[in-house]
Amino acid sequence: MSFFGFEQSDQLEREKQKFLEGKKEQEDLAVYTWGEESYDGLGDALQEGGDELNDETFGGTGAVGKDFDFAQQNHQLDERLEAVPQSDVFHQVNSQAGPSREAGASQARQAHSLWDEKSPFSVLPRHHNGSARSPVEHNRTSSAARSSHLSNGSLSASVSQVRTHSPGVVGVQPIGQAGVRTLQEIEAEMRAAAQQSRNLTTAATQRQQLMQEQQAQQAQQQSHFHQQQRAAPPRMHPQSQSPRFHQQQQQQQLMQQQLMREQLLEQQLREQQLRERELQLREQQLLREQQRRERHLLDIELQEQLRLEEVERQLRAQRLSDVQNQQLLPNRYLHQRQASNPSPIAQHRRQQSPALMDTLQAQYQQNGQHIPHNIQLQQRLLNELAQAEFMQSMATPEEQEALRVEAMRRIMETERMEEKRRRKAAKIAHMSRYNDLMTQSDKDFITRIQVSQLVTQDPYADDFYAQVYGAILRSRMGLQASDERVLKFGSGGGVGLGLGQKGTGRRPNAMQRMEQQVERIVNNARQREQEKGEPRLFSTAPHSLQGALGKTSGRSYKAAPRQLLQVDSAAANGGSPTMGHAHISKEDAIRRHGEGAAKEAAKMGAEALGGVTDPDGIVRQDPLTSKETLAILENLYDLVLNIEQLRREQPSPDSDDFEMVGIWNARYNESVQQLWDGLRVMVPLETSNPHPFISLITPTKGKKLLPRISRHLTSQQMLTMLTLLVACFSQMDIVTHAPILDAPEETPEQAELERQTQTFLGSVVQSILPGVAKAGLRLVSGLLGLLLERSDIIAITQTRMRPGLALLTLFLSRVELIKQSMSSATDLSELPSQEETEQWELMFDHLFQLLHPSLLYLFPSTRIAVHLARLPPDTPVPALHTEAMDQPVWQFLAALALHSSNEQQQALVTALRGKVLENVASANKGWVADEDERLAKLGNVNLFLHALGLDSSQISV
Amino acid sequence: MDPSAGIQEPFDLIRLSLSERVFVKLRGDRELTGILHAYDGHMNLILSDVEEKIMIVDAPEGAPPGHGAVSIVKRKMEMLFVRGDGVILVSPPSRT
Repeated sequence: MSFFGFEQSDQLEREKQKFLEGKKEQEDLAVYTWGEESYDGLGDALQEGGDELNDETFGGTGAVGKDFDFAQQNHQLDERLEAVPQSDVFHQVNSQAGPSREAGASQARQAHSLWDEKSPFSVLPRHHNGSARSPVEHNRTSSAARSSHLSNGSLSASVSQVRTHSPGVVGVQPIGQAGVRTLQEIEAEMRAAAQQSRNLTTAATQRQQLMQEQQAQQAQQQSHFHQQQRAAPPRMHPQSQSPRFHQQQQQQQLMQQQLMREQLLEQQLREQQLRERELQLREQQLLREQQRRERHLLDIELQEQLRLEEVERQLRAQRLSDVQNQQLLPNRYLHQRQASNPSPIAQHRRQQSPALMDTLQAQYQQNGQHIPHNIQLQQRLLNELAQAEFMQSMATPEEQEALRVEAMRRIMETERMEEKRRRKAAKIAHMSRYNDLMTQSDKDFITRIQVSQLVTQDPYADDFYAQVYGAILRSRMGLQASDERVLKFGSGGGVGLGLGQKGTGRRPNAMQRMEQQVERIVNNARQREQEKGEPRLFSTAPHSLQGALGKTSGRSYKAAPRQLLQVDSAAANGGSPTMGHAHISKEDAIRRHGEGAAKEAAKMGAEALGGVTDPDGIVRQDPLTSKETLAILENLYDLVLNIEQLRREQPSPDSDDFEMVGIWNARYNESVQQLWDGLRVMVPLETSNPHPFISLITPTKGKKLLPRISRHLTSQQMLTMLTLLVACFSQMDIVTHAPILDAPEETPEQAELERQTQTFLGSVVQSILPGVAKAGLRLVSGLLGLLLERSDIIAITQTRMRPGLALLTLFLSRVELIKQSMSSATDLSELPSQEETEQWELMFDHLFQLLHPSLLYLFPSTRIAVHLARLPPDTPVPALHTEAMDQPVWQFLAALALHSSNEQQQALVTALRGKVLENVASANKGWVADEDERLAKLGNVNLFLHALGLDSSQISV
Repeated sequence: MDPSAGIQEPFDLIRLSLSERVFVKLRGDRELTGILHAYDGHMNLILSDVEEKIMIVDAPEGAPPGHGAVSIVKRKMEMLFVRGDGVILVSPPSRT
């Protein structure tokens, strides 16, 4: 429906107008019922704007390119659209100005209506034939009617006027006038220019008062005016389609706001119109005659000059306009933001703006629309001239050259800067493409969904590995072992926060913000819960947090798959324990149960009668089978995990909630007691061989359990455990199977035993070590006595990888420490009594007597040699590092020598003389593979000799 | 404490063997022994210190079935993930 042309050149303009007019006449022939009395007004609701894009939309133009640029073309399109009618008006005013005031006014209205095409009302129906409408209807109908109210009457008139005028008008484009000018004319021209500038200022003040946005747009228009004149006819590009659509949406939004405040606006509008008309009157009367001619002259002159100029400055101007476009981008986004999220002020302004814009623009266009451009061009020309003169006044060509170079450099620099800035602006625009697509409530909603997926009943366990790893990291970095990074909610639920973020930057901040957000959401949910607390008392929902963070429909991903097989687990758990073996045949279970039952009954009877201490009352049991052991261990591990979890939940000691602390203590103690019972340490020694406890620490995981439980047990309990261990030392697999380790060939059994021994040393010995380290002399001698009494000391000491020797060395060194403290201690109460010392001496003598005959066999090297001797001579002998194996023995012997009396030392030296000499001789005479071995041999010997106050260098072979 | 209280389903028996050496029979005439570290409901297993035995029957062309020479290939692995669909049985090794 647009009837403005896009062309600037006269030829094209003419053709275009002819074409458009022809089209219009055809259109007018169509009969519409809109204006009739019976018409229900629904037509007003139709959106008829934007038809100018139909060709592009439905493929009227040629091939559609692929270089769509949705992000950046919007405002350019707007400018183009705005610029087009403006220039169109320009020509029409030029050609038409004058005959009557009426015509001018109608022209203004027409301009206005054209301009209006770009206003929010452009989407509303345009009543070109709406003159048949009654005034009543006008009042009744929506803002569409208002817009037509503005333009309607005059528009229809003006359309017809245009039609009648235009054939002549087009022909009268007064190019030839420029040639003949009288002095009077030139004078008038100057006067008109002054007058125009004055008019311009008044218009500008009004404009400033009312519209700031408008100014920006006009600046845009001006910049594009040049482009328009120079550039090809501004066809709509295919990519302009979607921005236009976008714009339409915005306009629709605005339209709705408009509808609500129509009354107010209409009033404003009328005032505006009045003012406008007055202004028009005055100005036109004063200026019309002069303006008409001078504008033509000026325009033509300027256009000619401008073309020449533009050829030179085409590149620069192009860049300039580009930069301006870029600069205007932020404005554009601000604009959109206001539309999507209107603040009250922005809203207000927006409500006013379309209407005001209309009137203003009409006014502006009529008065001085083209004049500012002319003035601007003039100024620019003057500047150029001044510059040229200045350049000419610079005398020498060298200076000129230098200046030129300097200018070039500056230009280049500016170009670079502009390029940079443009890139930056483009990047920002690119990044902010999708800004504000989601509202805050959308975001909150998604956050809630996400957080609700994170909430678990046991945040620590669900985040277990991260928590433990974090704790290890913190302890390694020497940081304060702060509490777990877990958000706990009131009733047990919570969110694991994972590892703490280290360092600075954006990500940690984001994490912190996320944490804060989660906390906020949780707190809000809790508050809501409290508010709802009253009705909840009557409700049956047991979970206080249920649904607090939103609901997930159906089964969550964490839910177990639907059970197809329903096993009555309650029956299996309760009642007879044998029912627990769902997989074991019933007969089997009953038989087993029957076997054990008699003995159990006997034992329970004995306990009831005489107590556990009575050795006669002890019911001997079969040792635990490996399966029983493993099952017990699994239970124990469950208990340990429970206890560890309990400890994490320990209420702070200064907590006011005594009840809670009490409950916690009770639960904790109960669990520890269960653990202690499960370890079967208190089961009498004679119950079975091996003792149940020894059976329990036979598997690797049994051994590894001890360090984990040691911190839950009291030191008394640990000592009891130590005593039991010492008493049953020879029952342990690592002691009984120790000879396997002496076999020179490697077998899987050997590897297994070696691993077990290592685990024993690493776990069991490490966990009981603190107990021994604090033990008094009395306890140590008691333990040694127990060991000697109940175990085959020779078998114990002849264990490779030294579990037995380690224990003995541990005892001996402890006693040594006690002896040292005896000489220096001041506190008499800590000193061991005479009686205790004597007892220790007794025990030690006993140990020495037992060991003395087989001292040489303590050495693994000796034992292996014996084994080797037994083997067939052609067996390949694996390379063994006997020195490393022997070292613990030498260590033990050194400890032994320290405690020995003179006679005992004599005996020791006599027994070991051969071994010592052998080592020293082989070291000195070079019967060794390498230097390391020699040093090891000498080191070992010296370890022992130093204890006696000797050194290997004293021995001469 | 009843030692069998924790055993309610077949998988509990495998649970007992955690961190113990187990014998695993697999499809494709393969056998594994190794220390069990983890398992799941599909009987996917994680084993360490594994020895795998693969039985290969080399039947010469035209020989009647069942008359091929059986050879056993062994290999050792530090750590192994066993996919559960190949597992036929899991058992503790026979105690000596």
